[in-house]
Amino acid sequence: MKLGIDIGGTFTDLVLLDERSGDITLGKTLTTYPDPLEGILHGVEQMEQNSGVPLSEVEVIVHGTTLVTNAVIERKGARTALLTTKGFEDVLEIGREMRYDIYDLFLTMPKPLVPRSLRIGIRQRIDKDGRVLEPLDLAQVAEVADRLMRRGVQSVAVSFLHSFANAEHERAVGEFLRQKYPHLTVSLSSEVLPEIREYERTSATVMNAYVQPIAHTYAHRLKEALERRGFGGEILIMNSAGRLTTLEEARRFPVQLLESGPAGGIMAGVFFQRQLNEGGMEVSHLLTFDMGGTTAKASVIRHGQPEITHHFEAARERRFKKGSGLPVRIPVIDMIEIGAGGGSIARLDSLGLLTVGPDSAASQPGPACYGRGGQFPTVTDADLVLGLLNEHYFLGGAMTLRRDLAEEAIEKHIARPLGIRLEEAAWGIHRVVNENMANAARVHILEKGFDPRSFTMLAFGGAGPVHAFAVARLLGLSRLIVPRAAGVLSALGFLVSPLASEATFSYISPLEHLDWPRLNARLNELEKSRRQFLQEAGVEPQEIHVRRIAEMRYAGQGHEITVRLPAGTLSPASVSEIARNFEEEYALRYGHVLPHMPIESVTWRVVVSGPSPQFALHQRVEKSLSPTPHKGQRLVFLGNGWEEVPVFDRYALPEAQRFQGPCILEERESTTVVGHKATVWRDCFDNLIIEMC
Amino acid sequence: MTVTPPIAATHASRTFDAIELSILWARLISLVDEAGTTLQRTAFSSVTRESADFAVVLMDTQGQSLAQSSVSVPSFLGVLPFLVKALLQEYFPLDQWQPGDVVITNDPWLCAGHKPDIGIVSPIFYGQTDKGRPRLVGFIGCIAHSPDIGGTLWGANARDFYEEGLYIPPMKLFDAGRRNETLFRLIETNVRTPQQTIGDIMAQVAANEQGMRSLQRLMEEYDLREIDTLGAHIIAASEKAMRDAIRQAPDGTYCAEYEADGDGLHQPVLLKCTLTIRDDEIWVDYTGSSPAHPLAINAALNYVFAYTAYPIKCVFSPEVPNNEGSFRPIHVWAPEGSLLNAKKPAPLGARNVTGNLLYAPVMLALSQAVPDRVQADCGAAVWVMVLSGHHDDGREFVEYLFLAGGYGGRKGLPGAPTLCYPTNVANVPVEVFENDAPVLVLEKRLLPRSGGAGQYPGGAGQRFAYRNIGKNPIHISNVTEKIQHQAYGLFGGEPGRRGRLFVLTAQGKRRFTPPKGHDILRPGETLVMELPGGGGYGPPSRRRRSKVKVDADLSSSSRAYDGE
Repeated sequence: MKLGIDIGGTFTDLVLLDERSGDITLGKTLTTYPDPLEGILHGVEQMEQNSGVPLSEVEVIVHGTTLVTNAVIERKGARTALLTTKGFEDVLEIGREMRYDIYDLFLTMPKPLVPRSLRIGIRQRIDKDGRVLEPLDLAQVAEVADRLMRRGVQSVAVSFLHSFANAEHERAVGEFLRQKYPHLTVSLSSEVLPEIREYERTSATVMNAYVQPIAHTYAHRLKEALERRGFGGEILIMNSAGRLTTLEEARRFPVQLLESGPAGGIMAGVFFQRQLNEGGMEVSHLLTFDMGGTTAKASVIRHGQPEITHHFEAARERRFKKGSGLPVRIPVIDMIEIGAGGGSIARLDSLGLLTVGPDSAASQPGPACYGRGGQFPTVTDADLVLGLLNEHYFLGGAMTLRRDLAEEAIEKHIARPLGIRLEEAAWGIHRVVNENMANAARVHILEKGFDPRSFTMLAFGGAGPVHAFAVARLLGLSRLIVPRAAGVLSALGFLVSPLASEATFSYISPLEHLDWPRLNARLNELEKSRRQFLQEAGVEPQEIHVRRIAEMRYAGQGHEITVRLPAGTLSPASVSEIARNFEEEYALRYGHVLPHMPIESVTWRVVVSGPSPQFALHQRVEKSLSPTPHKGQRLVFLGNGWEEVPVFDRYALPEAQRFQGPCILEERESTTVVGHKATVWRDCFDNLIIEMC
Repeated sequence: MTVTPPIAATHASRTFDAIELSILWARLISLVDEAGTTLQRTAFSSVTRESADFAVVLMDTQGQSLAQSSVSVPSFLGVLPFLVKALLQEYFPLDQWQPGDVVITNDPWLCAGHKPDIGIVSPIFYGQTDKGRPRLVGFIGCIAHSPDIGGTLWGANARDFYEEGLYIPPMKLFDAGRRNETLFRLIETNVRTPQQTIGDIMAQVAANEQGMRSLQRLMEEYDLREIDTLGAHIIAASEKAMRDAIRQAPDGTYCAEYEADGDGLHQPVLLKCTLTIRDDEIWVDYTGSSPAHPLAINAALNYVFAYTAYPIKCVFSPEVPNNEGSFRPIHVWAPEGSLLNAKKPAPLGARNVTGNLLYAPVMLALSQAVPDRVQADCGAAVWVMVLSGHHDDGREFVEYLFLAGGYGGRKGLPGAPTLCYPTNVANVPVEVFENDAPVLVLEKRLLPRSGGAGQYPGGAGQRFAYRNIGKNPIHISNVTEKIQHQAYGLFGGEPGRRGRLFVLTAQGKRRFTPPKGHDILRPGETLVMELPGGGGYGPPSRRRRSKVKVDADLSSSSRAYDGE
């Protein structure tokens, strides 16, 4: 028995999986503040009742939480100090000396997590090759530490220049501090992110230190609370790369949990891709499309693997503006996030053009049609006016939408000023938000060198299935999948993710000049330590899969691409294969190669993973009360006048029977819109398959 | 600058409502951004990739700009349209373009003001004309800073235009798809880094092609035969936004004088700006500014226009995507042959030094008209330091460093430390710098109290020092500013602290190094740079901590460093 628990901003989702039978039980409860453990325990109790399975029978709990992200965004982390090489105390504040918006004179840069008074330079220096130029002044460290303790510092980050080449000094400081101050948490840059570029490395290390005390306390309390309820198994934690890690590792490197929730959703995509392929459908490229109340996220999964990036920013000054946040070069699943959701506000801008988002009415006051005082028209209001949503069956009828208020808002703010009809204005809002999402997804896919048309879309999130069809059309896709259980996808993703760990080091050198013995030694060392980690976490040695990759570029470029490395000991004989892999990847992304340019390595990575959990999913299918899937007809506006469109009850849809678009399929959490020139059917896994011609 | 009248709607084959216009406009911007991303990622030039010193622009059949990549630097505002209009008028008339053509030039007066900036223009064809020939629907062009273009190393010391490297007049790099091998050979053999220079040129060609394909797809999807009509709508919308914003500012003539370092020694330059706001247009006249300078800091008028229009756009319509319409209400003039309208063969290599300063008198003039919307002077537009030489093992290196001073204070906000304006360049990480060149960085930190005091104080500059730890001398080229002059404060805010630079010899003695010019950094010598702070905004007496929401430590003027 395996239990997935995902704490989101609003809901805590639970999924219980019986791996032998494939049966799953779903649970949902409100997230509790300030202590999310209450919500978890409440959810667990519910789950025990619903499934009849006591917690003591659960062997593994996989957990993900927004705790770390919230601490950073709300600046509620620990009082943190930073020790740097003397002369470089301001690395956090100097940053990369770049404005993220070139036209905004009034921009603000993100405030460093450590104020100037707690950033101390230590006498020591190591050069680029790892040679010690100036020995570490431990006496100074002792004196500084004493001073910091008196100032109430709870956590210390240590980031010295070139520590990725020689970690000796950082380790010595770490040992000293940990020994002398057992309650202090210490983050070393050579452990958190042993990569070149001091600002990025320091930023990640400081963020780790900033959230570490919170993570420590939380991990401790979580374990205790679950064990008190009879849990005797293992707790694993979801990280940002869609990989599971141990509770202990999560405590050491909490910064890796920043994006665990969204990662869960995408890992669910991996699960569905596998399921669809098992069902005989060939899906090699999947585009996940998750549209909620405030944002839409899209991500690419290729052959069962999510794309991993190491360019991530937390706590942006402007949520959708690249460069406005604090960089954290940890592995995260690569996804784009844009300000397009059901609550996104539509308005006419200073040019008189229709814009939608990125600001959102969120759930408070919410769209005008919620009747909670929202004045501005939103995407949900437009969807309602167009007939795409059923005012009496929102959230399964738990909430009634006010069509009159939606109409009034759109009429007042859009239709009347533009001199167009209400439905045209609503259709405009619907189209503009779809275009925004399609543009962002298109750029994302093209940046990776893929053809958008080769993708199948997997749509989820409350508003996802409403807009997925139109977005897929804009991208030229031919197939769209709307899974069941869209409401607890992240938690489901937790259960299908493998236990895995990544280790890295920077070693900059042209391929031909690599010091092979040194390289092999480093790679082997990392592999050994990661293997050991997995084995300790209970993975059998023969089940461990090792993937070695390097970030490479043509010498002189500033942006690296990820290249597969051959297995076994590397030698000069490996150069041609590595170069070939590089060129293949380069050509895929940029369409050409530069045959005579030397290739150089920057960062080397070893990814060690356990097996992906294998099971077939059997959800207890919700029985519909209605005998026929056909719920009736309604007038819908899809661009060419009002038309009568059949409305189906998703729960009552017979398997494999095809229905022609346009039609609408209602379920509790969402509504799937199928447009013209398309068919929809339900597969044996209870997914909706929409094929577009 | 001549101003082209709005095109008549003679070929208005269809109209666009507000919704279609929103959608199509966003698509055009998205497609130049896609092309720009590709260019930035594949470029070898550190300037292109790290500082986004490039632009991709989509233009209509008259060379009018419709969309410019969002991340590009200000120096390219309006430059590509200017180039394409010139190409159409003087080099390749509209009927001579064929599918597969690619035109290249680095002519400073047509392009971006100095030779390292290479412009590449490709025509876009879609569908057929009535006569069955491919229909030219527009142009896509990009400019990027080349890793090397030959001549003396980039800096301010070339004595004339000819010392500044290879000159490429507008020529076809590809003629109907056929490579111009002669030209390729000529470029390859005239630059220090042939593979990288050609690599970047090809990256530009590829970026154009990508944009071209995206536009063709868009036209197919929306059944568009041409884009001039759509373009006219977009241009009109941006133009109206700009005019509406200008109209709200009080009419008047606002004068500002701004003295800058010039050569940093004995010959300062004077920038005199007479800015007139009349109804919905702005005239900027630089008459009275310095004559052409012997150093290569002279600027061509197209470049002066870009750097004048940029702060005006920041003040008046920062949110509206820029295109031809944004700049129609702006008129810029400087006397021929002067510093700001230099003519051949004046050297222009470090024209950025001058261009980068134009915002200062413009902002100062605008502060009289719209005091709430301007910022105090910034410490440094950017300091550019180029190092070249050999590692101990004989390998050659060239390294560009970019350093920022403090940002100016603004109404309601203090200036941030170490941010440039108008340039926007990422720094080279210390660890990367030490890998690239035989140097040891001794210090890189903020300079306390370097920002000007004020109600909203100026941002701090930084101290940066590195030592030559190799066995060979390092050739350095310094381009600094505000060594002799301070960043001005506004409305009672105090000026920022001046910059400094000097060399410490191996014996620890200070010696002179030219603020603008070349020098040799011998083994064991250390170059020390102190970047200027930004100016404050409003009188320091009105600084109320409760009102200024900022960490006390962030404000350079508020506290000293530990141990100092």
